[in-house]
Amino acid sequence: MDYLTTILLLAVSTALINNMVLHYFVGICPFIGVSRRVDTAFGMGAAVTFVVAIASALSWALTRFVLAPGAPLSSWAAARLGYAGAPDLSVLNYIVYIFVIAWAVQLVEMYVRKFFPALYKAFGVFLPLITTNCLILFVCLEVMKHVPSAAGAPEPWGLDLTLVYAISAGLGFLIAIVIMAGIREELDLCDVPAPLRGPGITLLVAGILALAFLGFTGMDAGLARWLKAPAADAVPAAPAEGAQP
Amino acid sequence: MSGTLVITLLSGGAMGALAVGAGYVLGWANRKFHVETDPRLDAVLAALPGANCGGCGFVGCAPYAEAIVTQGAAVNKCPVGGPACAAAVAAIMGVDVQQSWPYRPAIHCRARYAERLQRGDYRGEPSCSAANLIGGVQGCTYGCLGFGDCRKACEFDAIRIEDGLAVIDYEKCVGCGACARVCPRNIISMVPFKHARMLIVACSNLDTGRDVKAVCTVGCIGCTACTKRSPLFKMVNNLPVINYDEYDPEHMDATQLAVEKCPMKGLIYVGKPRAADRAAVKDEPAPTLVKADFKTTVDDTEWQG
Repeated sequence: MDYLTTILLLAVSTALINNMVLHYFVGICPFIGVSRRVDTAFGMGAAVTFVVAIASALSWALTRFVLAPGAPLSSWAAARLGYAGAPDLSVLNYIVYIFVIAWAVQLVEMYVRKFFPALYKAFGVFLPLITTNCLILFVCLEVMKHVPSAAGAPEPWGLDLTLVYAISAGLGFLIAIVIMAGIREELDLCDVPAPLRGPGITLLVAGILALAFLGFTGMDAGLARWLKAPAADAVPAAPAEGAQP
Repeated sequence: MSGTLVITLLSGGAMGALAVGAGYVLGWANRKFHVETDPRLDAVLAALPGANCGGCGFVGCAPYAEAIVTQGAAVNKCPVGGPACAAAVAAIMGVDVQQSWPYRPAIHCRARYAERLQRGDYRGEPSCSAANLIGGVQGCTYGCLGFGDCRKACEFDAIRIEDGLAVIDYEKCVGCGACARVCPRNIISMVPFKHARMLIVACSNLDTGRDVKAVCTVGCIGCTACTKRSPLFKMVNNLPVINYDEYDPEHMDATQLAVEKCPMKGLIYVGKPRAADRAAVKDEPAPTLVKADFKTTVDDTEWQG
């Protein structure tokens, strides 16, 4: 129960409350660029979710076993080379993450080109540009902070929590971009004042959307309370119902 | 071994192993997810300059190459590559390069204020599109209004208004067609310039001779003198139309006769000025060049209350 609670809270707070686009303002480029039509936006969200899941899982594994201070693989190799202390390869973190992200994007690009040619056409340059989507690097760096290591992370995540975090971050992006695309499709039919047409009104809408998502703030505390004590709600309810007849 | 050396070795080894592993997976995926494409597509793409300028009318070189291969688009549209590029693409596709002429606008009116009759006193918005909405600005409802919508639409400063008539400077014109699109009376058409100077019909009035005479002293009266002398002309709605497909600048004898016999002198040559034209105005003072002033260029709205 406790484990499920943690997962649920992590997912909700990542996808909705601390939405990547509308709270941290990462991944704005495709959020504005590919949000003209709902189906394309959904495809973009799905692609980003897939890439971020692969990239963060690989990043977690590489950090955990190779890059973190005192990681098993590098310690073993260092011992073979006659090095006494715990080797620290965390200087490589950024470059390895970028490498992994670029690799995952290449894989996704080939896959999409083979099996979804229409989507491949609709994405255009934005598909390879997922590489430079800062959302993905952001998630990888966030994961890096939570990798269990000799230095000690504040709340260490296993691969499970990492995947939950990454996928819900991707889902949060998907939710945001699909909402945005829905609004922009309607916006095409509106009489927008000439100076605001194009990027102007889009950015205004994005700002208002971010304000709306601010409304989720604090929901995690209430959710945690409700999840922790369902019994407390159930206990007074049961006699009340029993007393009624 | 020293610590630094070990860390360096480990870093290099880790990156190398990662590169080998990732490269192997990508190589496998490349074969597994290989998409069969038309080999001509790659060949055409290689023959195009790769500037991705969009001058052909497509988004970039790749969409243009795809249009050539799959939809049979014209091979000579690339302005960067020019004829050599067109020939290379044509060789790949096994087609002939089509002859293409530069299209330039022609204004089918030659009446200045002095020649226009029944002119009214117009004090409205000084634009052709506004003046075209109401009657009484001038007698001719077909001809140039002279408020210069085409001049404002021209991005290349190639149109000027002389005594209420738009005049095109063919040395500056690039043939973008913006003026032809903006003219509310549709008196500007895009003509294939097979020669530096082309013959055009300088009138748009479709009325009969009597009505034309009432509103203009130089308008076409539909006398058919030109169609009788040259097969190049055809009367459509009281107005001769030049068949530019048959137009051959080398064989103009009959046409030249028609031009000379036109009672209204309404068949005129337009285009780049000849040496004789330049010599004629050699002694006239050149207008002083007006430098753009930021304060006056920032807002070009015109308001006449």
